[in-house]
This record gives sequence, structure tokens and C-alpha cells, in this order.
Amino acid sequence: MAVESLSDTLWDVVICGTGLSQSLLALSLSRSGKNILHIDPNEYYGGAEAAFSLQEAEKWAASVSTPEAQAPSLFKSASITKPENVEDLSFPRAYSLALAPQLIYARSELLSQLVSSRAYRQVDFLAVGSFFIVKSPSAPSEPRTLVRIPSTREDVFSTSAISVKAKRGLMKFLKFVVDFDNPENSEKWKPHAQNPLFEFLQDQFKMDTELQTYIITLTLSLDGRIETKEGLAIIHRHLSSMGVYGPGFAAIYPKWGGISEIAQVSCRAGAVGGAVYMLGTGIKGTSAADDGMELELTSGDKVKTRMLVRGYEDGTRDAGISRLVAVIGSPLKFLFEAVVEGAPIPGVAIVAFPAGSLTTAAGNASASPVYVFAHSSDTGECPTGQSVLYLTAPATPDSKELLDKALEFFLSSVGETPVPQSLYHVYYEQYAGMTPPASGTDDLAISFPAPSFSLSFDDTTLDPVRGVWKRVMGETAIETDYMAFPDREGAADDDIYD
Amino acid sequence: MADQGGSQHGIARTSRARTDEQRTLDLERIQKYHLLEEEIRSHVSQHNYTPHVFQLTSKLLKLNPEYYTIWNVRRRLLIYGLFSKPSAGSLPSTASPTSSPTATTTTSSAACSSSLSTATPPAPGPQTAGRSGTTADDNNNTEETHGAAEEGNQQNDLNIIKTELGFTIPLLLESPKCYWIWSYRLWILQQAIDRLPVLVARRIWEEELGLASKMLTKDRRNFHAWGYRRHVVEQLESSQLGGKSMAESEFEYTTRMISQDLSNFSAWHSRSKLIPRLLDERKADDAAREMLLNEEFGLICRAINVGPEDQSLWYYHRSLMLNLVGFVGHPTITPAFSRDDRVTYVVREIEGIKELLEDYDDVKLIYEALIDYTLYLCQLLGRQPDVTEKQAMTEWLAMLKKLDPMRNGRWNDLERDCGLLNGGRRPKVVSIDVGQGQGQGE
Repeated sequence: MAVESLSDTLWDVVICGTGLSQSLLALSLSRSGKNILHIDPNEYYGGAEAAFSLQEAEKWAASVSTPEAQAPSLFKSASITKPENVEDLSFPRAYSLALAPQLIYARSELLSQLVSSRAYRQVDFLAVGSFFIVKSPSAPSEPRTLVRIPSTREDVFSTSAISVKAKRGLMKFLKFVVDFDNPENSEKWKPHAQNPLFEFLQDQFKMDTELQTYIITLTLSLDGRIETKEGLAIIHRHLSSMGVYGPGFAAIYPKWGGISEIAQVSCRAGAVGGAVYMLGTGIKGTSAADDGMELELTSGDKVKTRMLVRGYEDGTRDAGISRLVAVIGSPLKFLFEAVVEGAPIPGVAIVAFPAGSLTTAAGNASASPVYVFAHSSDTGECPTGQSVLYLTAPATPDSKELLDKALEFFLSSVGETPVPQSLYHVYYEQYAGMTPPASGTDDLAISFPAPSFSLSFDDTTLDPVRGVWKRVMGETAIETDYMAFPDREGAADDDIYD
Repeated sequence: MADQGGSQHGIARTSRARTDEQRTLDLERIQKYHLLEEEIRSHVSQHNYTPHVFQLTSKLLKLNPEYYTIWNVRRRLLIYGLFSKPSAGSLPSTASPTSSPTATTTTSSAACSSSLSTATPPAPGPQTAGRSGTTADDNNNTEETHGAAEEGNQQNDLNIIKTELGFTIPLLLESPKCYWIWSYRLWILQQAIDRLPVLVARRIWEEELGLASKMLTKDRRNFHAWGYRRHVVEQLESSQLGGKSMAESEFEYTTRMISQDLSNFSAWHSRSKLIPRLLDERKADDAAREMLLNEEFGLICRAINVGPEDQSLWYYHRSLMLNLVGFVGHPTITPAFSRDDRVTYVVREIEGIKELLEDYDDVKLIYEALIDYTLYLCQLLGRQPDVTEKQAMTEWLAMLKKLDPMRNGRWNDLERDCGLLNGGRRPKVVSIDVGQGQGQGE
């Protein structure tokens, strides 16, 4: 059979970029029989949600830092640091550092789609375990301690960190949140929907600062000022996700690099479904053509397509995050204990420095929380005996310093002697994308919004994918078939009667 | 699709709709099943207890573990074939009750044993020296050959027991509530006590305890599983398995279970039953007893503090309160308490529960407890409720009528019985056997 060249085919859609949205689109179209060409200017899958070996990280950091006067990108100020006299660093490919280490709540729509599309079979998931607060010491000479945040009734019962009366308040709140949508409870919060959640907790539930911190941390609010309506919905999701996939955990995390793994698996499904994949290929230019558009690729090929879908690469300079990825030369075992009998060993733990608990050298207190996502080697992101920390704070002039401080204090609070060493640092800033220009129904070129840097997967990311799928499928789109596929190979029945 | 009628602690049963293709397949399967059943029945009626029939029972039981007659056939196959026979002048072994099963079935067994002595049983596992029956009847009964034969027999029986226990596991995973499988498993476990040396049998029962724990991890509130666990623990504690009391470890087990799920009637119940034994074994003096009582009150109050709507917690609290006030003729934690001691505790508990009302004003179990415990207090003091107490009880009853209007009949009766209504009818005596304190050191 003669292989058609790229230029001979009238592609139904060319997808540019293998970030999560584009990859999920490929997955959604993997049984459609459409002619799909999926390209990515990078030499790796995952785009802004990729996972890197150390070599790839260094290459990426260099590319992000080139002071070219180009359009603003999503990432800025990337740098790699290797502390001196470090010998424990393993070979580069032993690491898979994630740009998007988001946790996925059990009740997330993403998981439903992965299940119904059968793509979940290709992904290994780990449980996300405990949430901790770093408690500031009562005296400066005292060490900082980690306090587990209780989120179930039995947690609240067992903890000695909360007073008897405060426990009652916390239980009342948890019961309220589980049913926060019913008419009676709605009356209580709706008047405060846009106010900060911590104010609501203080006024309506008489919670002290410490309890407020527990609840705010559970929302993973980046600036600590999440609004009441959004905050209650997130806590509700946390509580209703608890125990869904097994006792003792509410969220899961894909092995080998978080969201990047989901993107890779989705592209694989796209390829099995007949899509053509080309890495290291971007779009040099576009022009109108009959039946659609003509694209000139960086490979020199000129292809015709009915539709073009791409991600949005420009970032605003306004709202962003600072992130520090640190490889640690210790397994930090105590963070990854299963607290409930019969629960799996978690691969991820969350630690938060509450707002105000860190101070810069100049004396400025942190205005927002700093989150530390700790990953054990079970995630496949580092070799055994080591662990990876992902520290996040809103991007401010102080944020890099605060992240370094947080790392230092965290390592000294884990109670190990000698204090665990960090072996490798990647620092960068990530920005929100500008809202892409709205594409009318006649537009043949569609852009996905830039990826969210929310610390837990935000289901609203999925809506544009569905929208584009509908556009591509046109009149043949059957809503109930979206991301719903049968298994490819027939499952063999074991007949015990023979 | 979840079956509406069947829910096992929230785990739904599944049922499937059948297509025509499935219907044909089902008919074939039914046919095969009947043939298998016929074959076994015909063998049994001809008293052919052979290894082949044993394999057939395995097949049939996998298809239908509820077919208890076939479990009995299997038992017979083991007793008359695969298990070793006790030798004529056998050394006193642990195998005392072995004779009883045979005795009850002598009528059919006579014919069985004749056909069995000619058959060579296949090894379910590797069989060492000492075939069933034949060797033991040898007349070359030196001590040595006897000892060797005995050991061989035990190895044979151990293998069979292990295989049979393993056989039931996949069946239990599929049909965890089938009584017949459990009954067979327990019978096999009893065979271990009867036939094997104490240490070997003990190991098997210890593994069984592990299984019971695993089941309770999966379904913490299954009272069958708790009952099974108690039975296993009882055996492990018995002299037949060279055991001693496991009250301490079982007590600790209930602590673990409760901390994972406060709402566990069976765990709290086990705990209350273990405490008296525990105190006796520790030879606890009065101070130690009081300390334990304090710890238990502390534990249950911390639990009620986060789960006041949970009835299992209030039941346990009540059992502790009855320990204080209703101790006549019952084992009690603190027999040496004076009446004043008891009053102190009851008052303390009532005040503690009142604190809950600061935050939980709509939980009816709190109001019920307050009323009942106020009455206990009055009984203890040998007097009627005073004005303040009557006032409080009236308010609590008003809340109960508001929160639970369906039971207004009961609340009204209670109101009358406590003498709270105008007209001052003499209140009924609350029916608990309240003793007066021993007045020690008073």
C-alpha cells in the first residue's frame, strides 16, 4: 500500500502541541476515523505539562531563559542549581520532574472520562495521603513541627492538636459542607459567596485562626483568600472523594510525572486510532485554502487541513506562581505512612506553611501560603532512597526567597538527623495565559486556553476540549459517545464449566 | 445495576440483564450442572467413595457452594479415605473426638470403608510415608514404626487440611455469606485440633485469626465476622491449643477498630465484654480499676464529642453509667466505689454532656441521655427529682418533642412518669436495679 505523503491528505484536523487539552482532544477523537495530524514543536510530549529527565530539564530551563524579544511565554526565569559537594545524584534519566504535579480528586470528571474512554488502564495511580501544616514553634529555639490536618470524623477524634470545643466546631463545619447545597445551608453561605472563606469561617462558625488555616489549606488556595462559594465547593469535593477508591485517601496522582502521563497516554490512544504524530515540528505559517487552511510546517511540509487546534502560548505578567522543584537525598518515609488500616501507602503528601509563617531577610512576612507537595520515589520521579519536593507560592518579588526559606525550614522540621540534603533545584515562574481571542463558529483555527496552575486538577479545563470535539465531529457528534469507548481487544471469558 | 433489595453495609449486589445469547449459554451450563450432580449422586448411592468422586465434589461445590449435601459427601470422603485412621493401639494423640463422626454414620460407613481400603487415595499434596488406614493396622507395632507412622499420618492430615482451607478461600471470596462454606471451614479447623500436634494446629488457628482480621478490615461492622473472631480467639485461648488469655490483645484490637470507625456497635460491645476479664487478669486493685473507668469515660466522651448522633457511642456510655448505678448482680468495674463516689461520677458526666449542648443543640440522643441520667442520679440519691431538675427535664422533653414529633406519645409518657405535668402525679420508679453504695471509708 502506498504511503500518502503529508501534503496529499486533506486533514480533518491538525492539532499543534501535546499539552493536556490537545492530548485529551486526540483521545476523544481516537475512534472517530478522522484524519488527524498531531504535531509538537518540542522533542517531547506534554508541552507545558511535561515531565523531564535532568537533561531535559536543563535544556528546557535554558530555552525559557533566553532573553529574546519574543512574545511573552507561559514560563519565565527558569534556573537550575546544584548544591556543591553533592554526590548522591543519580543518572539523569532516573528522574522525571513534573511541570504539572497536580493531584486529581476521586470525584473529578477527568477520572470519569479516563475510565469511560478506557485510557485509565494505561496509567498507574498512587494515593495522595495526608495534609500537614507546619506549626510555628512557641519559642524560637524550638523546632517546627508538622501537624496532620484532620478531615474525617475519626481524624478529628484521634488528633490531640485541637481542643475539645474546637473539635465540635470543626465537626459542625464538616457536616455543613457535606450538605452545603441544600436549601437550609445555602441560606447561610450565599450572602457571603464572594467573601473570603476564612472570614466566613470566623463569623459563621466561630473558628479560630488555627482551624481556619486547616480548612483553607485543604482548599489548596494559592493566595489563601479563596472565596466562600469556591472554597466550600472544593472542600465538599475533598470530603465526598474520601474513600471512593479505597480507605484513607481522597485524591490520586499519576505515576511517572503527573499530568504528563495522562497527556502521553492520550496521545498513544490517538496514535492507535490512526493519528499521525510528529515531534519537533511546529507551524511556520498559515494561509487560507479551499476546504480549510494551508499550514507550512517547520519541517518544510505544506499540509491542508479543515481545522487547526493549538494551545495558547502567551502568558500575562500579572498572576503567576513561583515554583521550586527540589530533589532530596532522603526518602522522608514518615510523610508517606498509611494512616488508616487497609489503606495503600501514599506516594504524595501535602505540607503547607500558612500565610505569615515565613519571613524574608528584609523582614517581610509571607502574604500567602507556601505549599510543599512531597513525592516519594514510588511516583517514579526519582530513584529509591530519594524524594522530590514541589514548592509553590504566588509569584512576587519575595517569592523565590520564600521558597528557599520554606525548603530549609521544611527539611529541618522532618525530625531526621542529619538534616536531609537537597541534591538538585529547578526554579521557575509560570503565568496564566491571556484569554485567547474568542473563536467564532466559522473560525477554522481554535486555541485552547493556557494550562491552569491550580494545585488540584480543575475540571473546567475539560469543557473546551469537549467544545472542540463537537466542532470537529460536526453533525456526526453524539453527545453520549464523548470519551465513551468499548475496549479494543475482546476480554476473554474464563469458562469454569469446561 | 445495583439490586434495590440487597445491600450489605452499603455494598450493592449486582444483577445482570440477559440477552438471548446469554440465555443459550445459561441453558448449556444448567445441563452440565445437572449431569455433574447426577454423577455424584449415583456414585454416592453405590457407596463409591473414590478420589474421582472427590474431584467431582470440588467441581460441583465451585458451581454451587450452597449444596450442603455435597459438603457432607466431601466430609465423608475425607474421614473414610483421605484422612489417616487412628491406629489400633495408637499413642494418645490430640485426636480424641475423631471417633464420634464415624460413630454417627456407622450404618453407611461399613460399606464405604471396604471400598476405600482397596483404593489408593491420590495425594492432594505430596504424601509422605504412612498411607491412610493400611499402615496403622499393621501388626509390626514397634515404638519406632508407630512413631514414624504417626508422624506420617499427621503430615498427611496437615496437607489435606491446608488444601481444604485453600479450597474454601476462592469460594468465600465469591460467596462470603454462604454459611455452608464457613461451616465446612470450621469443621476442617476442628480436624486440625483433633488430628495434629498442638503447635501445628495452633499455627493454623493463628492464621485463621489473621483471616478474621482481614475480613473485619473489609467490613468493620459485620457482626458475623466479629462472632467468628470471638470463636477463633476462644479456641486459641483453650488448653487444646496450649493457649492463654488473649484479653489484652483483643482489647487493643477493639481500640484500633474504633479509632478507624467510631460507629462500630460490635467493637464497643466486644470491648465492654473484655473489660471485666481484663481487670481480673491484671489483678487490678481499686486504684487501677478507677483509672480504667476514667480512661473509658474519657475515650467515649471524646468520641461522643465528635459523633453525638451516633447511637453505638451512647450505648457504650450508658453501659459505663450502668456500671456505676446498676451494679447489683452484674460484673462491675469499680465494686469498691462508695455511693458518694458514684454520685460524683454521674454528676460529672451529666455536666459534661450539658456542655455538648453549646454546639449541638439539635441532637436528640443528647437530650435523652440527660433525662435518663438525671433519673439515675435521683435513684442513686434515693429521692425524687427536685425543682431544678424537673425544670431542666421539662425543657429537654420540649426539645425532644420538637426534634422527634413522631414519638410524642413516648415523650408524653416520659413526662408524666417523671411527674413533670401539673397535677403532681407521683412519678413511676425508673426500672433499673440501683443499689446503694457500700459506704466504704465514708
